[in-house]
Amino acid sequence: MTTAIDIQSVTRRFGRTTALSGMSFSAEAGSILGLFGRNGAGKTTIMSIIAGQDRPTSGRVEVLGREPFENESVLSQISYVRDNQRYPDDYKLHHVLRIAPDFAPNWNADVAAELVEGFRIPQKTKIKKFSRGQLSSVAIVLGIAARASVTLLDEPYLGLDITARALFHDVLIRDYAAHPRTIVLSTHLIEEAERLFDRIVIVDRGRVVVDSDRDEVPNLAFTLSGTADAVGRLVRERTVLRSNTIGGLRSVTVRGATDEALAAEARASGVQIAPASLQELVAAFGESEALAPASDSAPEAALTQNGAHS
Amino acid sequence: MNALASAVKLHLNKREATLLVPLYITATVALISVLISLLFWRSGSQPGSAVWIESSQYNPGMLYALIGFLAYLGVQSVSTTFPFALTLGSTRRAFTGGTLLWAVITSAYLAAVFTLLTLIELATDHWFVGFYVFDVNVLGAGDIARLIPIVFLGTLTVLTLGGVFGASWVRFASRGPVVLGAGIAVIVIVALIVLIPVAASIAAAFQLWWLAVASIAIVLLSSIGTWLFLRPAIVR
Repeated sequence: MTTAIDIQSVTRRFGRTTALSGMSFSAEAGSILGLFGRNGAGKTTIMSIIAGQDRPTSGRVEVLGREPFENESVLSQISYVRDNQRYPDDYKLHHVLRIAPDFAPNWNADVAAELVEGFRIPQKTKIKKFSRGQLSSVAIVLGIAARASVTLLDEPYLGLDITARALFHDVLIRDYAAHPRTIVLSTHLIEEAERLFDRIVIVDRGRVVVDSDRDEVPNLAFTLSGTADAVGRLVRERTVLRSNTIGGLRSVTVRGATDEALAAEARASGVQIAPASLQELVAAFGESEALAPASDSAPEAALTQNGAHS
Repeated sequence: MNALASAVKLHLNKREATLLVPLYITATVALISVLISLLFWRSGSQPGSAVWIESSQYNPGMLYALIGFLAYLGVQSVSTTFPFALTLGSTRRAFTGGTLLWAVITSAYLAAVFTLLTLIELATDHWFVGFYVFDVNVLGAGDIARLIPIVFLGTLTVLTLGGVFGASWVRFASRGPVVLGAGIAVIVIVALIVLIPVAASIAAAFQLWWLAVASIAIVLLSSIGTWLFLRPAIVR
């Protein structure tokens, strides 16, 4: 496998605001990477940098072996539609479909037509009057039909109904299987997209807090549910990422993998134990103050602390 | 070269705005000019008389009507098209070059249209009844050798000037056009303060080609400014 996207120690500052702080991860060619995190975690910023639409303040970004910024040959192989994409004044759908092939050498008109029909995208309405879901539909058409070597999908589901989301999944999987490419997909609807991913990256406060193969997710964290006292005893000496208490009952997400001893102790205490789902993992790492960076000058601390960075 | 051509095609993708709307505006102004001429005719003025010709040729309506639209076209050619160009995979370099090339094409197109319409007006002795629509002073008073550079350089100047304002908005949001506009105003006022004592001698020595040189200078400065604004601009 070759590396399609390589992010090394990328920091991006906007004035006094640090959007990315020493972020590092990579994506193999022909894989689907899920990029997760809370709003403002840095997902869109890193996608913009990967797409050559922005530059890091420091650090290194390589896409298909080269820096993407102002690199014509690399940019022609990247597709990235922002979640708040702006279109030229008075643009209608046909304007988009007419110009996109000029910039996307692998553009497939049949895929575009199938998606347009399936999403029921209005042909005669100006794009600036589109609903949120219709805007997402146009972005998906651009993203999938381009068949770009590196496809970045930033919150592609926003405003889409369940039928449209199912269509998106079906066409994406089918077209990806026939024409493999590297896909980075960020979404908050994690359960729906979970089956797509080969690798997951969770970011928080501009740092990578989890970077793992999809298969390793069950070993990254687990949940315990039971009486508050029993759960409290079991999580002593462990890092609790997330905790909910209702009355005398407590549910926690704990970092790390379970072991036989813990499982036996949980059974004896009447505490339920289970591997954390991807959604629970993302929610836990997004909420965890344990991973809050101590300072901007120590980005590696967060990566090492979570024990999941590879 | 392909990237440059793609950027030009991106601009020309809005065919109606680039190619047809200027014609709609021209036709509307022509119609209004004809109606005003009819009004004067009904009030006793005689088509073909010296007074009629002189007053008709002072009509600057065609110029004013097009300038507003061309300025808008120039602004939007960068402000709303640049974010989409980046999404499609254009480089900033190709986009800036393509935008200038598109402005040249649009200017040449309008110069050709105005040349054709002026020639028709002259050949028909002003539409058979003495109506002056294109044979007006601001368009060279029927002199094609003056009309072509006036329309071409005038259009190019307004489009590129609009473009640099659009680029300043992309780079600095609402502060960009405000600061740029204020900066240009300060430069113009300072220049006037310096030159006003010799204004009479400048006016006496004035040559029409000075305007052409000024126009080319504005086009170059605007294009360089657009590039400087867009090079570090990010879309958020």
